Parts: sequence; C-alpha cells; structure tokens
Amino acid sequence: MTRLVPTGEMTLGPFFPREFAEGANDLAAGVRETEVIEITGRITQLDGKALDNVIVEIWQADSQGRYDNAEFYGWGRAASDANGVYRFRTVKPGSYDGRAPHINFLLLYSGLMRQLQTVMFFEPAKDPVLDAVPASARPRLVAKREGAVYRFDIRLRGDGETPFFDD
Amino acid sequence: MLPRRDPETQSEGTVAGYAQTFQRWPSQPLVRRPQTHSELTGPQNLARRLGSVRGDLAGHGAKRALGQLIHLRTRVVDEDGAPVPGAVVEVWHCNAAGKYIHPNDTNDAPADPNFYGAARLVAGDSGLIELRTIKPAAYPVPDTAGWWRPPHVHFSVWGRVWLSRLVTQMFFPGEPLNDADPILNAIRDPQARSRCIARLALTAKGPQNALVYEYQLVVRGRSAVPSLP
Repeated sequence: MTRLVPTGEMTLGPFFPREFAEGANDLAAGVRETEVIEITGRITQLDGKALDNVIVEIWQADSQGRYDNAEFYGWGRAASDANGVYRFRTVKPGSYDGRAPHINFLLLYSGLMRQLQTVMFFEPAKDPVLDAVPASARPRLVAKREGAVYRFDIRLRGDGETPFFDD
Repeated sequence: MLPRRDPETQSEGTVAGYAQTFQRWPSQPLVRRPQTHSELTGPQNLARRLGSVRGDLAGHGAKRALGQLIHLRTRVVDEDGAPVPGAVVEVWHCNAAGKYIHPNDTNDAPADPNFYGAARLVAGDSGLIELRTIKPAAYPVPDTAGWWRPPHVHFSVWGRVWLSRLVTQMFFPGEPLNDADPILNAIRDPQARSRCIARLALTAKGPQNALVYEYQLVVRGRSAVPSLP
C-alpha cells in the first residue's frame, strides 16, 4: 500500500477565530469528582514578553487513569489572555501502565511553524516520558502546587526553556 | 505506533524573514519520547463537544460576500490513504480584500459585512468536507520588508489520536506570491510543498458556478484495522 506523507504543518497565524477558542477549558463541568483542580500558567517568549491568545490544548486520563471514560472528556482548549495566562479546570489524572499522572499539552501560535508538544507532571516521578528529558530540565515539567491550583509556566525559548517533544 | 515524521516534509522551526519564529521556536532540540497509550489515544466525538459552526462562508442573494465564489472539496485521510470519517476540521481565512474578522488585524483593507470568516465542519464517511466560500486575497504583513501573504486558507484538523493533530494552510495554484512566502517555503521538500497547494478542478462544476478546488489533508496515523482479504 502506498504510504502518504503527512501534510506539512504551518503556523496558526495571528488571526485564529476567537469563537473557536472559547468555552472548552472546563473539563470538570458536570463531572462527579470531589477533587477539582485548576491548572494555570504564563506563556513567554525569548525576550520575556507574555504572549496573548496562544492556543493551548490538553489531553489527559480521568482520575482512575482511563482515557475511555464516557463520563469524563479528557480534552480541553484554552487561549492565553493579554497577560499570557491560560487556565483549565479539571480533575487530577490517575496513573496507569507505568506512566505517572500527567497532562499532555499542545501549543499553537503565530510564529510557531509547527505545534509544540510538552507534558505537565504533578510531582517528580519515574516516568518514561519524563525520563527522556535531560535530568537538569525535568523540574521544568513539574507543576508547582498552590493548594488546588497547579502552576505550569511555559517558556517557549530562552532561559528556563520548557522541554518540548518530538514524536 | 505512529511512523516518525520526516523533517524534510515538515516546516523548519526558525524561518528567515519571519522574525517571530526566532522569539518562539525552542532553542533546544526537541526530545524524542516513547509513544504510549497517552499519546496514541485522543478525543473521540469531538464534534459533540465543540459543535459545528456554519457550513457556508459566502452568504446568499443580497447577503452574498464579495469575491470569487469557490467550492473547497477537501478530503481528510491517514497515511494509508484511508478516509478519516468524523474528523473535525476548522477553517478560517480573510475576505476578498485581505481582511480577517479579528480584532488583531490592523490591515486597513475593508471588512465585508456578508463574509463569515470561520467554519467548523465534520468529515463524512469518505473523509470529505465541502465548503462554499469566496477566494481570499493576498495581504501585507505588518512590520516586514514587503512580505505579502499569498491567498491561503487555514485548516485545523483532528485525526484519530492525540499525535494526529494537524494545523496547516492551503494555498492556491498559480499565485506568484507562493514562491516568495516564507511560511510555504519553510517546507524544504518541493513535493511536500506542492501538496500544500490546492488543485483547480476545471471540469467539476460546483454549486452555483463556484470554482472548485480540491485538496487533501493527510493526518498522521495508519488505518486502525487492516481489511481481511
């Protein structure tokens, strides 16, 4: 069978419709879970400037580590505000099959020629994806907990750069 | 497992003439990670969560948008060429004067009250999405040395799994600006680049005499189950 080559990715550009980015950042709405958490962070570029309207998409397991729970939709999308801050409401994912609890992140933005993939962890842990990152950079993938809020800042380029993945 | 990407067929991260890429693309090499259940699953029935948004950007009658009416016939397939039914596709582009419906667009080109710049569609059983719209115009990029974007249409596509996500732009054939566009030409492989340009289907008569353009979006992934002989 002929193999087709995946279409080349290109930047989202600066004019992604606002209406597309709205209303999908609350994964916990209507979910019967006791522990609802907030994930938030600030997205900056090389010169430290915070970035407005970055599209952030996430994919995660439910609290039991399942990806096929009809009661919990593990996907969400948010846009950063003028201060570069994005926010999600969700539940803390469970671990499964050798993977520590984690949330997959995907960033789309003007000036990003391809999607950027990274992963947020809740604590330092043994995990095959976290272990693929150089040891000195692993702490950048671990969110900082402040009560029910997990802070996960993303630095696209420069000092303290977030590790991004190729797959 | 999904086949790894061939970098030649994908955009470079930093692109000469596109200053923002040097502020935003990571300086460190991307980390190779193993593919686990987490990356090889993804949102299902996304259409139910996001809903669809319009299916016609051109309007009708007295409310018809200005510009050349076109009919985009786009197929979403995987790396085996198999259709991806149910794929959700977002489409957006500027109007026939080069203006987006977006507060961040500072171009002084006029808005068109009858043009709707955004649609969200769901692919049918054959992976086909059809969109009636008008051909977008070229427009100048602010704060650059004479960079004009060629006419293009933005696509955002979900395939079967998390790693299948695709965001790209479709170009029109025969546009002189195509050869100078830093975004299109960030794809080094000439064949991969030419696949980002739609095909004008001169013989296929479109609804209401629209020019028909055909395009194919190839998302990452192989067909889930090989068919039995």
